[in-house]
Amino acid sequence: MVKLRARCLVVGDAAVGKTALSHLFNSDGSLFQKNYSMTTGVELLMKCVNIPDTSDSVELYILDSAGKEALVDGCEKMWGEPSLLCLVFDLTNKQSFTNCSRWMERVRVCNKGFHIPGVLVGNKSDLTSRREVEASAAQEWAQNQGLEYCETSAKEMENCDAPLRGLARAFHSLYHERREAIQNLSLG
Amino acid sequence: MSDISLSSLGAKVVVAASSDENHPPENIIDGNTNTFWMSTGMFPQEFIIRFAEPTMVSVVTVDSYNVKHLKIEKNTTQSASQFEFGTEKEFENTEGHLQSNALSLSGSSATHLRFIITRGYDHFVSVHRVSVQP
Repeated sequence: MVKLRARCLVVGDAAVGKTALSHLFNSDGSLFQKNYSMTTGVELLMKCVNIPDTSDSVELYILDSAGKEALVDGCEKMWGEPSLLCLVFDLTNKQSFTNCSRWMERVRVCNKGFHIPGVLVGNKSDLTSRREVEASAAQEWAQNQGLEYCETSAKEMENCDAPLRGLARAFHSLYHERREAIQNLSLG
Repeated sequence: MSDISLSSLGAKVVVAASSDENHPPENIIDGNTNTFWMSTGMFPQEFIIRFAEPTMVSVVTVDSYNVKHLKIEKNTTQSASQFEFGTEKEFENTEGHLQSNALSLSGSSATHLRFIITRGYDHFVSVHRVSVQP
């Protein structure tokens, strides 16, 4: 049995649904905030995820960080060294997708060369008639950045636990990979 | 003394911040660099070694992997609390082989040593052996 711990940073433009997704995930789908309330700092949520087919688990310390430009500098100081990245944009807002590059740059500055497993999340997939970002374009960009890609609808509770569950699994695999490498090393 | 493992002298690891049952903290003091304790995510990480009796410590040698910065605290009380600063060191990154670092502790007596790994070169670090010289 292994208990892993990971600091999972959730970033992206304001009002794309970072807080809604974080809370849905944290509450196993029982908590969807109907009214928008802007996050102004960094909110910390903790969730333990069991890894399927093992007795191992990952404790995710989810840092839901404000997306509003004017607040980002203050928030960055609280990011620390993230272990995992969840980058969220709004499928009905092209600009929020374009801005993902800037979010990646900010994260790269604070991760000091660590390889950080990450996922790009296109949220609000329920609003099909207002969609501005094609899945193929988002998928391609994610791949170039070394991120997984998935689409969610916090409102319809569609696929909402996939991004963070995926990250927990990725962190678990990374641990096993590193542990094996050290094992080989120590036996010379 | 460094040839004899700390555990055979009655020392114990009484606190460790990470747990992988395949790589328990006892591996730190068994004198064998083939076995190790592994941190399981996030920093800082720490472990505390308790000696069977007050022990003179002038040099602590740590065999590890991916540790970037280590701080050692010590105390002379019966409980694992009220630590005072001992020493600290920035470790070199040694890709492909273990790090081995000696830290001097100015020959003072201690009942507990507290090891705080504040930073690593990767998400996970391992500690293979801690040995002390009087």
